[in-house]
Amino acid sequence: MEYKKPLPRINGDNREFWEGCRNHELKFQKCASCGHVRFPPSLVCPRCLCRDVEWIASAGAGKVYTYAVYHTVYHEGFREDAPYVVAVVELKEGPRLLTNIVGCSPDEVSCEMPVSVVWEDVTPDISLPLFRPSA
Amino acid sequence: MLDAGLCRNVLISYGHNALSSDSLLAMLMDFAGDDAVFGHFGATGGYALAARRAMHEFNTGPQTWKHIAVGERAWANLNPLAVMHGRPMSFDDYLSSKYVVEPLRLPDNCLVNDGGRAVVVTTLERARDLKHRPAVILGLGQHNPSVQVTQSGTLAGSTGARKACETALSMAGITRDDVDACEIYDCFTYTVEVTLQDYGFFGPGEGESWFSEGTIGPGGRMPVNTSGGQLSEAYYMGLTPLSEAAMQIMGRCGDRQLGPATGTAEPNIILVSDNGGILQAHSCCVLGRI
Amino acid sequence: MNREKTYAIAGVGYTPQGRVPGRTSLSFHLEACTNAIADAGLTKDAIDGLICYRHFPASSDENDLTPHLVAQHLGIEPAYLSQDAN
Repeated sequence: MEYKKPLPRINGDNREFWEGCRNHELKFQKCASCGHVRFPPSLVCPRCLCRDVEWIASAGAGKVYTYAVYHTVYHEGFREDAPYVVAVVELKEGPRLLTNIVGCSPDEVSCEMPVSVVWEDVTPDISLPLFRPSA
Repeated sequence: MLDAGLCRNVLISYGHNALSSDSLLAMLMDFAGDDAVFGHFGATGGYALAARRAMHEFNTGPQTWKHIAVGERAWANLNPLAVMHGRPMSFDDYLSSKYVVEPLRLPDNCLVNDGGRAVVVTTLERARDLKHRPAVILGLGQHNPSVQVTQSGTLAGSTGARKACETALSMAGITRDDVDACEIYDCFTYTVEVTLQDYGFFGPGEGESWFSEGTIGPGGRMPVNTSGGQLSEAYYMGLTPLSEAAMQIMGRCGDRQLGPATGTAEPNIILVSDNGGILQAHSCCVLGRI
Repeated sequence: MNREKTYAIAGVGYTPQGRVPGRTSLSFHLEACTNAIADAGLTKDAIDGLICYRHFPASSDENDLTPHLVAQHLGIEPAYLSQDAN
């Protein structure tokens, strides 16, 4: 079945992140100088402007920093999902990630709720990191 | 550029056929970028993320925001030009309205309307020779935290409003106690709350009690968004609050004119705000009579 | 206060608002601008600065709306022009 939602636009900055996702790995840039783990991927560290990085893999565990429940359908691809939860998840390694909370009803989501990554393979090349309540 | 002598008379303009054309949808998709992958679109979703975090960090939510929506609607009903003129709103109306992106309901959102607004800024010296009492720019401040809503750790404040206001008040040589009214960029009710909170009118979570008893409406002790604002008059980005502040200072606001007509203080000093992005930029301007 | 370095808003321009079908965004800019100039009691030749709020995507039946286009239609050549705000 054809995937009807928007897909990420892969570019020179984010290619490594999305290639990691395809392998079900959440990969982030860690600054070689100050150790800051950042997202989205970028040429320079926003803390120290160092350009050297090491890519680290996140364990995929974090907590909901904030969330919003979409009752409005802005794009046809999401019609069957509404109401659905868009959230910002703060990973244990530091970075925040925009995502969806799945595997529970919107009423069950709360700020600071522990969550873990689940992967949704939407095309042969793209897998999306979604999150569900931690067991 | 006025200060540098480059210009003497500057036009600031906004126009958008947002309601009757298809450009709003294009804008939603354009601005969403890769956030659209997760179904995150537009300003309502972004501010909903901010408002939800605020609800977690301090006492706020619909019981606070209803005062903002209802207070501004009361002003709109004194403004024949307001899009929502003639459509009074009660707390019950507010609380029974539909969610757009929870926790934000329809009346928490600014209007989508067709129209335009412009102002002319000139030197005080020149303004004195023109038709109206000049709305004098006494102070300006801006602060740009810049971080996207999906990366920000300060969605519940302090936003750029705090530093921008400090700069503007200091330039004007006044304190918050000198302020007679506020015209606040109100893309959403929560924006008004967090802006006034960061301006120091009340502490985090004290908004519900500060806004209650009609504080910001006609006859209130701190009138806010006296045209009806972007929630109930019309949306022209920063020109909704700025133009209304100028008109109040000029004394041209008819039934909604601040002063004895509405049981409020004379508008000698008005604090004006503008926001950009999702709490990524904040401008504060002190307009006054001299 | 240094009065030579003090500035003021001298005019405000309104347009019909709400649901106003059949109008381009450019036409709202132009109506608001001409009303603001007249409200201040100025003529267009006095306008030497133009700041247009945000570059929104145009509707599908309208050309890209830039400050240059607004200046062209107002018949002004500003010494300073910018597309400001967020």
